[in-house]
Amino acid sequence: MVGMSVLRSAAAFAARLSPLKYGNNAANVLTRTIPRTDKVAVRWGHGKKMFVIKPTDFYDRRFLRLLQYYILLTGIPMAVIVTCVNVFAGEAELAEAPEDYEPEHWEYYKHPITRWIARNFYDSPVKDYEKMMAAIQIEKEKADMRLTQLEVRRQMRTKGDGPWFQVGTLNKELIDYSPKATPDN
Amino acid sequence: MPTDFDKGAYPEPPRQTPAVDKQTALPNPAVILSKLFYYSVDLPVTTFRDAVDSIRAKNKSVYYHQKFRRVPDLTECQQGDYLCYYEAEMQWRRDYKVDQEIVKVVQERMRACHQREGASYQQNCAKEIEQFNEATKNFQSRYGDLGAYASGRKCLMKQKERMMAAQASSA
Repeated sequence: MVGMSVLRSAAAFAARLSPLKYGNNAANVLTRTIPRTDKVAVRWGHGKKMFVIKPTDFYDRRFLRLLQYYILLTGIPMAVIVTCVNVFAGEAELAEAPEDYEPEHWEYYKHPITRWIARNFYDSPVKDYEKMMAAIQIEKEKADMRLTQLEVRRQMRTKGDGPWFQVGTLNKELIDYSPKATPDN
Repeated sequence: MPTDFDKGAYPEPPRQTPAVDKQTALPNPAVILSKLFYYSVDLPVTTFRDAVDSIRAKNKSVYYHQKFRRVPDLTECQQGDYLCYYEAEMQWRRDYKVDQEIVKVVQERMRACHQREGASYQQNCAKEIEQFNEATKNFQSRYGDLGAYASGRKCLMKQKERMMAAQASSA
C-alpha cells in the first residue's frame, strides 16, 4: 500500500515534469495502474479487424432455419420408417401362382409399402374395372332411352294416336242445343 | 432396385484371358488397385448386404404375375356395345404394354451382347442385332405414330391403312 502511493506520487511527478508525453495525462495518472496500450496481449491473426456494415441477413437465415425445421419434422420420421421397412421387411420375390389359389389384389405388388397401401386404401383393380363398366352401362341405358324418346316423339307427332301432343278441348256436354231467342246466341 | 439380368438367359461366353505369366519381380499395380478396391468397397458392402438379408430372411413374402383372360376384340364387338368396346380397349392397352416390354427385353439382350463382345460386336452378335431390328420394325409398323392418346380404334384404323397400302402395292 505504501509502495502504491510511492508509485502514484512518482507518476504524478513524471506527469508534472512532462505533461504532453504519452501516457502521462491526467486520466492515466489518477488510475491505479497505468495502462500500456503499445504492448497488448490480444492476437487477431493478420489484418486489421473491421466492423463490417452489411444489410441484415436475419430474415433470410430465419427463413432457411424454419424451412429446414419444417421439412425435417416429417422428413426424418419418413426416412426412418422407409429405411426400417426396407431393412426389416424386404421386397417380395416373384413366384408362380399355385393352380387353385386366387391371389389377393395386393399380392401382385413387390414393395411392402405399395402392398400395404393397396391392401388398406385402394380398391382392387377388378373392383375399379367393374365400377367403370357399371358407369358405362348406366350411360348407355341413358343414351338408349333418350334415343327411344326422340323416336316416340316423332311417331306420336306424325300419327297422332298416342297420349302425347293431344290438345285438350272443352266438354261436349256443355253445348246448349236448346233453341235460342235471337239467332246470334 | 433394378435387378441384374437373368444370368441363365444370356450366358456369358467362356473367358479368354491368358494365364498370368509374370516375368518381373515388380508388383503389378492393377492387382494392387483391385485388392484395394476389394477391401475398401466390395467387402464392407457385401457384409452389409448379407447382414440385411439375414434380417430380411425371417419375413419373406411373394408376389405373382396377374394373368388376364382374353376377351372379344374390337372387331368382334357389336355396334353400340360400349361395354364390349371398353373391355377390348383395356385388353389392347395391356397388349401394348406387353409389347413395349418385349421390345425392351430384346433391346437389353442386344446391349448386353454388345457390352460383352466389345469391338467385334457387329460380327458376333449378328443374331441379337437382327432380332432387335425385326422387333423394332414390327413395333413401329403396328404402334408407330399413334401418339400419346393411342387407342384400340386408332390402331385398328392404322392396320386398315396398312392392309389397303399392301393391297394397292400388290394389285
